[in-house]
Amino acid sequence: MRLALFKTSAFRLSVSYTLLVMAAVGSTLGSAYLLTQSLITDEVDLIIDAELKGLEEKYAMSGVSGLTDEITLKVDSWGRVGAIYLLVDPEYRKIAGNVTRWPFEGMPRENWPEFEIATIEPGRRSAHPVRAAVRTLPGGDRLLVGTDISQGRRWADKFRIATLRGIGLTILAAALAAFWFSFRLARRVSNVTDTCQRIMAGDLGRRLPVVGANDEFDAMATSVNSVLDRLEDQARTLRATFDSAAHDLRAPLHRLRTRMDALLLRSPELKLEPAVHDSLESALVEVDRLQRTLATLLQIALAESGAALASPAAVDVGELAGELVELFEPVAREAGLILTGAHTGGLIVRGNRQLLAQLITNLIENALKYVPAGGRIEVSVTKHGDDVRVQVSDNGPGIPADDRARAVQPFARLTHAVRPDSSGLGLSLVAAIARLHRARLSLESNDPGLRVVLDLAP
Amino acid sequence: MHILLIEDDTEAAQFLVNGLRESGYTVDHAADGREGLFRITEGSFDLVVTDRMLPHLDGLAIIQLMRQKGIATPVLVLSALGTVDDRIRGLKAGGDDYLTKPFAFAELLARIEALMRRTSGVPDATRLKVGDLDLDLLARRVTRGGREIELTARELKLLEFLMRRAGQVVTRTMLLEGVWDLHFDPQSNLIDVHISRLRQAIDRGAERPLIHTVRGSGYVLRLDP
Repeated sequence: MRLALFKTSAFRLSVSYTLLVMAAVGSTLGSAYLLTQSLITDEVDLIIDAELKGLEEKYAMSGVSGLTDEITLKVDSWGRVGAIYLLVDPEYRKIAGNVTRWPFEGMPRENWPEFEIATIEPGRRSAHPVRAAVRTLPGGDRLLVGTDISQGRRWADKFRIATLRGIGLTILAAALAAFWFSFRLARRVSNVTDTCQRIMAGDLGRRLPVVGANDEFDAMATSVNSVLDRLEDQARTLRATFDSAAHDLRAPLHRLRTRMDALLLRSPELKLEPAVHDSLESALVEVDRLQRTLATLLQIALAESGAALASPAAVDVGELAGELVELFEPVAREAGLILTGAHTGGLIVRGNRQLLAQLITNLIENALKYVPAGGRIEVSVTKHGDDVRVQVSDNGPGIPADDRARAVQPFARLTHAVRPDSSGLGLSLVAAIARLHRARLSLESNDPGLRVVLDLAP
Repeated sequence: MHILLIEDDTEAAQFLVNGLRESGYTVDHAADGREGLFRITEGSFDLVVTDRMLPHLDGLAIIQLMRQKGIATPVLVLSALGTVDDRIRGLKAGGDDYLTKPFAFAELLARIEALMRRTSGVPDATRLKVGDLDLDLLARRVTRGGREIELTARELKLLEFLMRRAGQVVTRTMLLEGVWDLHFDPQSNLIDVHISRLRQAIDRGAERPLIHTVRGSGYVLRLDP
C-alpha cells in the first residue's frame, strides 16, 4: 500500500514546521520593522518638541511679533530640512509660516497629528506626509511645528518590502526543505512497507535496506532485519521438520506398498488364491488412501504453520475454473448432476496454480459427494471489487449454520452427513489453501444448499 | 536398457531392482549420493532413477553436478517429500520427471518407459498416425479410416498425448499431469470417464479398437490388442 504524500505524518510535520518558521520569521522581522519605524518617529518628535519649546520661549519673551519674526527667519534661512511652521490666530487664520493654511478642522485631538501638504517642486506636484505638534499659546494663537517625514516613510516602505520579501523567501525555503524532507522520509518508509509486503508475499530472503547513514532508519532496519533473520531461520527449521516427518512417514508406507506391489506382480507365479489377491488389492487401495490423507494433513500443517506460499505466480483463476468444470462435467453427468461454470478469462491472482486447482477440485468433489442425483453444482469466477471471487454453489443438503465454522476444521465429520469414504479433510485443506493465499473463505447457505465463497486478492 | 537406481532405503531398493529386472531392464544400484554420482560419471546409463534425500549427496545436487558435467541422461526423481513446491524444485534442478513416494510400481514402469522413449521419438511432429487413425495438429482434424471425427479441444489434447506415446502404457496420473497440468490426485474416476468418451468417438463401430485399458496401470493406444 502506497500512501499519498500529503497523508504521511512526515508531510504533516513539515507543514507545521513551515508554519512555525513562518510565524517566527514574521514576528521577528515585523517587530524589527515596527521598532525601526518608532525609532524614526521618536527622533522626529524629539526635534519638534525641542523646537516648539524654543519658539514658546521666544513668544514668552517677545510676543506674537517676535515669534512671527523668528518663524519668518527660520523659513527664509533654510534651516532644518523639511521643517514646517505655522502660526495662526484663534480663528485659524495664518499669521506666519511656510504652510498656506491650517491643515486641521479646529484643534487635532492626537498629540502627534499627521497630515499631507502639497508641494510644488520643479516639474512635478507631490504630496508630502508631515508629522507635527500643535500648541495653543497663552494669547489664543496656535503654533504648529512639523517635519516632512516623506524620507522616513520611503525608508520604512523599503524596509517593509524587504521584510515581506525576506518572510516570503524564508517560507519558500522552509516549504521546499519540508517537502524534500517529507519526500525522502516517505520514500524510506515506503521502502520499508514495500519490503515488508514482499516478505509477507513469501520472499523470505528479502531484507530492509540499510543505507549506511547510521540514522534511526538504519537502526530500525537493522533490528527488523534481525527479527526477519530469526523468522526465516524458524521457517527453515519448521520446513526441515515437516520434510523429515513426511519422509519418515512416507518411507515405511513406500516399503509396504512396494512389498504388496511385488506380491501382486508375482501373483500368477506364486499361484495366490483369488481371495488373497483381492484382499491384497483392496489393502493397496487403503494404503493409497492413507498416503493421500497423510499428504493432505502435511499440506494443511504446512499452510497453518504460517509458511509462505510456495512459488507464487500469476494464475488465471477464471480459466482454471473453466478447465476444472470441463474436467469434472462428465463425472457429474454420470452421477446425474448438472455441473455448470460461469467465468471469464483474465481474472488473475498471484498464487500457486496447483494449490488453487486443488482447492476448486476439493469444492467440486465435495459437492459431487453430497448433492443427490438431479441436483445442480455451479462454479463461478467473478470480479468482486478488487478481488476475484470464486464461488461453488449447489442445491444439495447444505451445512446447518451452526456446523459451518466446524466444517473447515480437520476431521470434523458433521452429524447430518456421515460418509464412510470421506477423509474429513477436504474443506480444511480448502481453508488452509485459502489462508496461504490470504484469501477470505466463507460458507453460506445457498437456500437450499451450500455456497462456498472465496475472495482472492489480486 | 541400462538403469541406475540411487536409493538409500535398501529394502525398497531391492524390490525396485527386482521388479525392474523382471520387466527386462538392466539395473545397477547405488546406496548413497556420492556413489551414485561416481557411477554416473564412470558408466553409461540410459536412465537414472534417484531418491531425493540421500546420504552424502542430495538427489537434486547429483542432477546439478551431472548436468554441469554435460551428462544429459534423463533423471527420474523419487521423493518422500510431496508438496507442490518440492516437485517444482525437483524439476527446476534439471530432473525430467518426479514421482512421490509411495507410488505404484506400474506408475514407475510407465514413467521409465516414457522417459526412455522421449530420448528417441520425434516430439515436434505435427501429423500423427496410428493405423487408420490420423491426427493433423495444424488443422486440428482427426480422421479414422477417412471418416472425420469431431472432438473438443481437450479431447484432441488427450488423443495427441496418447498418440505421441502410441504402444506405451500411460497412467492416469501421467494423463492428469500431461493433459490437464494437474499435479495431484483427485478422488473421482475422472480420467476413466474422459477416456471412455474418447473411446466412444474413436473406436465406436471400428473393427480394431485402438484404445486399450491396461489393468492396474492405465491405458495404451496401439494397433494390436
